[in-house]
Amino acid sequence: MLGHALKQEAWRVVVLVLGALWALSMTPSVLAGMAWLGRQDASTAHDVIVLGGSLVVIGWAVIPVLLPGMDDTLDISRFATFGLRARTLVPGLLVAGLVSVPVLFTGFVTLAPAVAWGSRALRITQEQGVAAWSAGVPVVVAVIGAPVALLTCLLASRLTTTLAGRILAARRSRRIATALTVVVGVALVPVLLRIGQEGLEGSLERVPGVAAVLGWTPVGVVWAAPAVAAQGDLLGAVGRLAVGAGWVVLCVAAWGALLQRALESPPARGGQVRRRPDAVLGKGREGSHGRLAAGAVTRRALRYWSADPRYVSAMLGAVAAPLIIVLLLATVVDVPDAVALSVGVAIGGSIGWGRHNDLAFDGSAFWLHVVARAPGWSDRTGRAVGALAWSLPVTVAVTLIGVGAVGRWDLAPAAVGAGVGVLCTGLAVSAVSSVLLPYPVPQAGASPFAAQMGAVGASLAAQLLTSATTLLLCLPVLVSFGAALWWRTSMAWVTLGAGVLGGAVVLVAGIVVGGRLYDARAARLLVRLV
Amino acid sequence: MRPPAPAEPGAQALELRGLVKRFGATVAVAGLDLTIPAGSFYGMVGPNGAGKTTTLSMATGLLTPDAGTVLVHGIDLWRRPVEAAPLLGVLPDGLRLFDRLTGPELISYAGLLRGMDRDVLATRRDDLVEALDLRGAGSTLVADYSAGMTKKVALACALVHAPRLLVLDEPFEAVDPVSGAAIRGILQQFVAAGGTVVLSSHVMALVERVCDHVAVVAGGRVLAAGPLDEVRADRDLEERFVELLGGSAQARELTWLRPSSG
Repeated sequence: MLGHALKQEAWRVVVLVLGALWALSMTPSVLAGMAWLGRQDASTAHDVIVLGGSLVVIGWAVIPVLLPGMDDTLDISRFATFGLRARTLVPGLLVAGLVSVPVLFTGFVTLAPAVAWGSRALRITQEQGVAAWSAGVPVVVAVIGAPVALLTCLLASRLTTTLAGRILAARRSRRIATALTVVVGVALVPVLLRIGQEGLEGSLERVPGVAAVLGWTPVGVVWAAPAVAAQGDLLGAVGRLAVGAGWVVLCVAAWGALLQRALESPPARGGQVRRRPDAVLGKGREGSHGRLAAGAVTRRALRYWSADPRYVSAMLGAVAAPLIIVLLLATVVDVPDAVALSVGVAIGGSIGWGRHNDLAFDGSAFWLHVVARAPGWSDRTGRAVGALAWSLPVTVAVTLIGVGAVGRWDLAPAAVGAGVGVLCTGLAVSAVSSVLLPYPVPQAGASPFAAQMGAVGASLAAQLLTSATTLLLCLPVLVSFGAALWWRTSMAWVTLGAGVLGGAVVLVAGIVVGGRLYDARAARLLVRLV
Repeated sequence: MRPPAPAEPGAQALELRGLVKRFGATVAVAGLDLTIPAGSFYGMVGPNGAGKTTTLSMATGLLTPDAGTVLVHGIDLWRRPVEAAPLLGVLPDGLRLFDRLTGPELISYAGLLRGMDRDVLATRRDDLVEALDLRGAGSTLVADYSAGMTKKVALACALVHAPRLLVLDEPFEAVDPVSGAAIRGILQQFVAAGGTVVLSSHVMALVERVCDHVAVVAGGRVLAAGPLDEVRADRDLEERFVELLGGSAQARELTWLRPSSG
């Protein structure tokens, strides 16, 4: 199946080659880093390797969930009709998952600590005359641990995507997902605050403690084993390897159980949920054709934001991805104020830009719009308002949390203005681009994490164009925001005005242009969505 | 049986002139001409791949033709779509619905997209739910409907704005006999009230039972068209159909198709 997928699209090959080049270019720096670690004492090496290794595992677990479409491994639901047992599928799917650039690179990374321990072993046998066999123990442990770590990475990603797919597909558990997001979001705030207060140095001092804890968790235990061996605790090292292998066995069992359940009850249907008879009709004054249609599109969009797994996962991704990026930045770069104040901008941008392929999510159901011939602006308005209804409060709230975290209330208007401006600009670009450049997405009822065959080229082009355009249109408000941050605080109110008014103007312009294009292209669009 | 409608201009509900559609090297519809008189119950029959769906998609504004014109009650659908669209009710085959809405919500959605007044819409929605026996499913999402229920709610969406011409692609497919009878009743009522129905099907018996006009389509062209009795010429429609297509009624014998041949 992978071979077949490769044939389908030349772009896919380009992406694969680019990925391979990136991985190759990273190889020397990883090796150099490991050689440097070999010259440090064992506890430093332990801390760095455990922390880095844990980040790799967590990355494997989290990134496929946040970036839908990245998981191009074989989708379990395709096998649902064959009546196979999960036990026969687990090894096959795991092996099939091994043949990809990220996996090969990760495999190399899991082996890399062996280099560090190897160069350390060479050094101490020469300098201190320790017997080669006893200095070599950590190397052996690292080599044995490498496949265990690689399997942990793979299984972590399979477990999280399968779980997330099921949770989002079952309508009843959407509330749980929403609640979880809120809890995680709230939990991130104190972390952000802490990092803001202590700065980079303060955070670094905590690394040994964090690493010690991680060394016993499933994500870090295998990485810790060689370090423990280097410190002379052979029993501890073997113990950790065994615990790591135990985790792998547990993960395989859990994944197998999930697959078995997915095969027995495909996740496409959740329980039947009783609803109010009609939430689409709406109330209020009678209006023109366009106003009525826009209202209906908005109410329909709101239902989809809460009831369609593809929209829910897009919503979670659009909010969570920038939060994580900002948090990571906060730990590395020493400008916590600016970073905390930019949270809203990042979220507004990811939500607004994230709608650039809005129309494709309708799929062929879009025919109802085509035959009804409602004015294009009403369709565009309905979708934009449906997204704004939840994203405007979320963007403002997150911005204010960021402002509160660093206590720069004097800059609050600037942060809010920039966030709202970027959100509106993103939606404006989306109002045009979803008509101009639709590309295939998972159909309603399919897993939101399934990649679309043959869509990589079109989606790359559309994503590049829309992000470049959004960035360009956002420049004025971003410059004003930067001026408020680093030049004069009084620019804050200018930024608020520029963001809100400018955003509104750009959004209306996007709706008008997108609406005209829509009117001219509705039927041709339908063909591309089927 | 209704007499053939007079051929004066304006009395035609739907006129297809020289419709052409190519998909790559394949010609799906090759210069198709068809005139459907107002007030007729018109059946379009043809083998699989005859171009029925492609033709009906072009006739309803869902697929841009490569060449040709479509006139809906004299209005050029592809030149003046905003004027022609309200006259048309469409039921496509094989396209999805917004299935995260309930049946009644989907009907409301279709009505509002067409700019209908809310009070009128609410009454009609309830009438349609009643007439198509969708009550039991009134609070269930369309995603959880059976194939037949889905077809019925899509038909309701086509009817809600009271069009003058209904174009239905395979309206009876996957519909159980009871629902089929209900749909037939609604369509016959619609024609009796002066409306026009065009439907495609590959079930000859059904077309013979409900339609008064028929067109036989194959290879993207019309082989025969007109009042049902003229087209079938005192014979069974199915025999006439096979004859028109030039195939022999006797299939090649599959000598190995016996329980004993293993």
